[in-house]
Amino acid sequence: MSLAIETKKLTKTYRSRGGKGVDVVKDLDLQVERGEIFGFLGPNGAGKTTTIKILLGIIHETSGEAFVLEKEAGDIEAHKRLSYLPERPYYYEHMTGLEVMRFYASLFKINDDALCKSLLERVNLANDMNRPISEYSKGMQQRVGLAQSLLNDPELLFLDEPTGGLDPMAHKEVRDLILNFRDEGRTVFISSHELSEIELICDRVAIINKGIVIKQGHLNELLTGARIELVFRGLAPDKAKEIAGPDAVVSQSGNSTVIDMAAGNNTDAIIDKARAGGGSVVSVIPRRLRLEDLFVESVREHGGGLA
Amino acid sequence: MSIILSIARTTIGEAVRRRILLVILLIGILFLVIAPSLNMLTPRQETTVLKGLTLGVIQITSAVIALVLTVYMLPNEVERRTIYTILSKPVQRWQFLIGKYLGAVGALGLMIAMMTFTLLFVYAVMQSEDKPAGAIALFIVILISLVSLTNKLKERASGQVVIALMAGGLMATLYWIGMATGQLETFSDFGKTAAMFFIQMCLLAAVGVFFSTFASPVVNFFLSGGVYMIGSLFNTLFDAVAENADMSPFAKGAVQLLQSIIPNFQNFSVQNTTVNPNQFIRGEFYHYMNLAGYGVLYIAILLILGIIIFDRKEV
Amino acid sequence: MKVNAAKLIPFLILLFVGQAWMQRSVIYPFWGKHYAPRTDSDLSSLSPDQMLFALAGFREMIAGLLWVRADAYFDEGNYDAILPMVRIVTMLDPKQLDVYATGMWHIAYNFTDESHRSDRRYISPALALGKEGASLNDYTYELWFETGWIWYHKIDDNYGQAVYYFEKANTYDYDTIYADLKAAGLSDAEADWRAQINGIPEARKNLLAPAHLRNGDVIAARDLYWSLLQRAEEKIKTKQGDLFVGSNNRDTIEGNFDNILVRMAQRGEFARLRGETDMTGYDVHPPFDVGFSVSVSVIDYKVLLVEGTWGVLPVGTRIRFILRDEDYQGAVPGGMVWDKGDEVSFTVNPNETFLQDQLFVRNQRFSRRVDLSRDVTMYPLTKQNYVMEFYYNPRSAPAHIQDKFGFNGEGMTDANFLNSEIREGQRVVFAQLKITKDMLLRTGDYRRGRKQAVVTTPNYDPTSYTGGSGEVIQVPGLRSDPPSP
Repeated sequence: MSLAIETKKLTKTYRSRGGKGVDVVKDLDLQVERGEIFGFLGPNGAGKTTTIKILLGIIHETSGEAFVLEKEAGDIEAHKRLSYLPERPYYYEHMTGLEVMRFYASLFKINDDALCKSLLERVNLANDMNRPISEYSKGMQQRVGLAQSLLNDPELLFLDEPTGGLDPMAHKEVRDLILNFRDEGRTVFISSHELSEIELICDRVAIINKGIVIKQGHLNELLTGARIELVFRGLAPDKAKEIAGPDAVVSQSGNSTVIDMAAGNNTDAIIDKARAGGGSVVSVIPRRLRLEDLFVESVREHGGGLA
Repeated sequence: MSIILSIARTTIGEAVRRRILLVILLIGILFLVIAPSLNMLTPRQETTVLKGLTLGVIQITSAVIALVLTVYMLPNEVERRTIYTILSKPVQRWQFLIGKYLGAVGALGLMIAMMTFTLLFVYAVMQSEDKPAGAIALFIVILISLVSLTNKLKERASGQVVIALMAGGLMATLYWIGMATGQLETFSDFGKTAAMFFIQMCLLAAVGVFFSTFASPVVNFFLSGGVYMIGSLFNTLFDAVAENADMSPFAKGAVQLLQSIIPNFQNFSVQNTTVNPNQFIRGEFYHYMNLAGYGVLYIAILLILGIIIFDRKEV
Repeated sequence: MKVNAAKLIPFLILLFVGQAWMQRSVIYPFWGKHYAPRTDSDLSSLSPDQMLFALAGFREMIAGLLWVRADAYFDEGNYDAILPMVRIVTMLDPKQLDVYATGMWHIAYNFTDESHRSDRRYISPALALGKEGASLNDYTYELWFETGWIWYHKIDDNYGQAVYYFEKANTYDYDTIYADLKAAGLSDAEADWRAQINGIPEARKNLLAPAHLRNGDVIAARDLYWSLLQRAEEKIKTKQGDLFVGSNNRDTIEGNFDNILVRMAQRGEFARLRGETDMTGYDVHPPFDVGFSVSVSVIDYKVLLVEGTWGVLPVGTRIRFILRDEDYQGAVPGGMVWDKGDEVSFTVNPNETFLQDQLFVRNQRFSRRVDLSRDVTMYPLTKQNYVMEFYYNPRSAPAHIQDKFGFNGEGMTDANFLNSEIREGQRVVFAQLKITKDMLLRTGDYRRGRKQAVVTTPNYDPTSYTGGSGEVIQVPGLRSDPPSP
């Protein structure tokens, strides 16, 4: 299956007046498959927006390659089949919602008023389409952004913080929309700080820090198999600590002893030792990481921290 | 082409709602309306001074509007990030730049037309011997009727039809006033001068757009304004240098070279024939065509250079 | 995708060369001819804000305002301020005809001394201004005519120049301009309007004939009157223009034509054309001896009393009196080289003196008090030696005197001062006397009346006055003896 987005050793260097260069994006290798929802994560200043801009042809890479829908980044043919919702969409204030839609439609050489109206209905703006954009709330503006992103029936959508500033109801609506996009066979590339949402909807993610991809892969693979929970009866907690090792977390739950430890090759050995020590196995459960944990851990490992 | 026109239309809509431009336009129109009150001169000089003053006001006001319109055009798009949404569409950068330029030019044209219309009306009222108050009243009635008609039509007809109707109505009103006051020839002279001003301002707008591809708004304002000042003085300065026997051949050559490089705005100051209508210039029509051709050539140069720079610009 | 700059650059170069060529070769020359201000004068007379306004698109307005101020200066008598202002206004807007026409007139006529004599040093700049204005506004007759008028009326000499300029003005005929404009594509109404305002009015057109006469070309004057008369008749017949105006014009021309024929007959012109030399029986025969003599006395510091005799009894003789530096640049007998070229310069030599006055003859005598003391700037009297010239040209004479003297002085003579060399093709009376600075200022030997500062022609006799009871107009005798009481 062909890739919707692919970058190979993509690098973007900004040179300051003193001549020193700063690598905002360095040797970035990214693969986004068609028909998936891809999360693009990273702390502030990691290079997310720069990467998106390169993929959209708004800025140019210093070295490396970037392909979007099998075309070079910035290719006009590719732009006919993709769409973009920026982080804080800003529209010409004198326009109504419908006029904004008509304007963006005209950029695709689409002259279809019915389409514009139906898209606005789809994002629940049917009653407000003739009001000036300047009177819209943040959420309404975001929804106009989503609506305009569907004008050209895109194969690939770039969404930058699509739920930023929205209330919980709106969050759910947007999430459902995005899931619908995938069901319709579209590829969605999301850049967001809302890790819980990413975890709910994304198929694959990449974590970027200081311009480098530090983690990339299927969410399930990245988050599962990381820890294991062993529950024993009849095993004293101190005995359990001794058997599991200093990294394990031992707790008491009723008359059961719970050992929470990193999944590894010595799980069988620990079970054997626990049984030999008088305990009986109640359960053995592999536990998923939270994306937040993965994110924090990955960034810390890479030398990142609080901005 | 439709993409360019779409961007242009949007730019016009935005420009005509920008407060600072409307304030500048209003000041210009106000000046035109009160200019006839400088009536302490002899009749012949009054006409000469009045025409010179009012046409000069239109020229200066248009220049300021052109500068303010263009120096902020691209930087605003980048700052508000509207450019990202547009460039993510199948829109080439050159289409965006040309569209913005055409929009600026369209807004300029509207504003120059408004000032010219005001001038023609003021002039007709001044020259009219009988019942100027009646003419004013009739004009206001016609204007209100036109505006309410266009408001009604806005929902039913497209923008172009509305604008065309409005323009047609205004032209018809002007024609009627011109016929009634016997000023049709003068109106035509004013119209020709305004048309040349429009081309001049298109050129100035192109300068502003060109500089905006790499300069900040403040720097652009002074750069474009400076080019306009020099270009407006150049022919006269060139004449003075050419006639100065003390100037070295090198200096004269340098001045000649500069005259060929810097856009010449002074060419478009053709108001002398309106101020002194007695003179008949043979080949005037061809001269105007040549001016338009020169303007188009230079605008093309500036826009192409701007496109080359903008294409490589990090926004 | 980036635009291919390399492919665009040759195209850019082509465009650039194209615009440079258009600007330098096509637009700039046309602009320079029809829209440009002039730059060959002193821009520093403008204040900085005026300069900025002028060059920023308001130059016509500035020109108009400055011209109004110039008019105000004239009313105040501040002539020094008018000159630079006229120059600046014509520089800023060379198409404001009024400035050239009125400016010329101001300069040639209205820079006067206390006795209302014009400062003749400014006639040359006035002519240059007129020529400049005419060449820059060659769509209209007006400045050609105005320049010709200065030759004809103010200078009253070198009539060939008046003829030249009036002929130029006459080429701006309504019909010619109208046809030209129609051929250029203008509408009937516009062509008519422009032809009316830029075409020479009939009355002014007729002035070429007297100019021919003064230039000694009687035949040209006669033929012109004839062609004008035929045109006038044609216009009436074909009902062109206003009938009343046309009829008046026709009648005037007819009267002039009749007069010239009668005069040609009576003055023997037709006989001369036939080759006859004996003028017996014609009014010009025998030539009348005008008996000119003059005495100039310095009666006070820079005050002269010019007295003399002139044998013509009928009123109407004006004898030109000139007092100038002996070495005055450009002086010719009885006048000056008035046209000093095309360059307009209002700078006159402050050390030169040139006075021109007229001596009016009454009862065969003239007596005039000429006071130079109140106009030090106009008459600086810096040189040591001066000449006084007395010049009479019968071509300027009124008709009743010319009836005797003839078109070219054939009927005039003077025993001592007749001259047929200083003016080609005509006889004039010309005398020249010398006077010194000491005499004029009554210094040196002439201080406190030690010596009498009097200069006379050799034939001056203060007792030769024959009296006369009054002014007599008689054609063509020009009696030298008074009627019996």
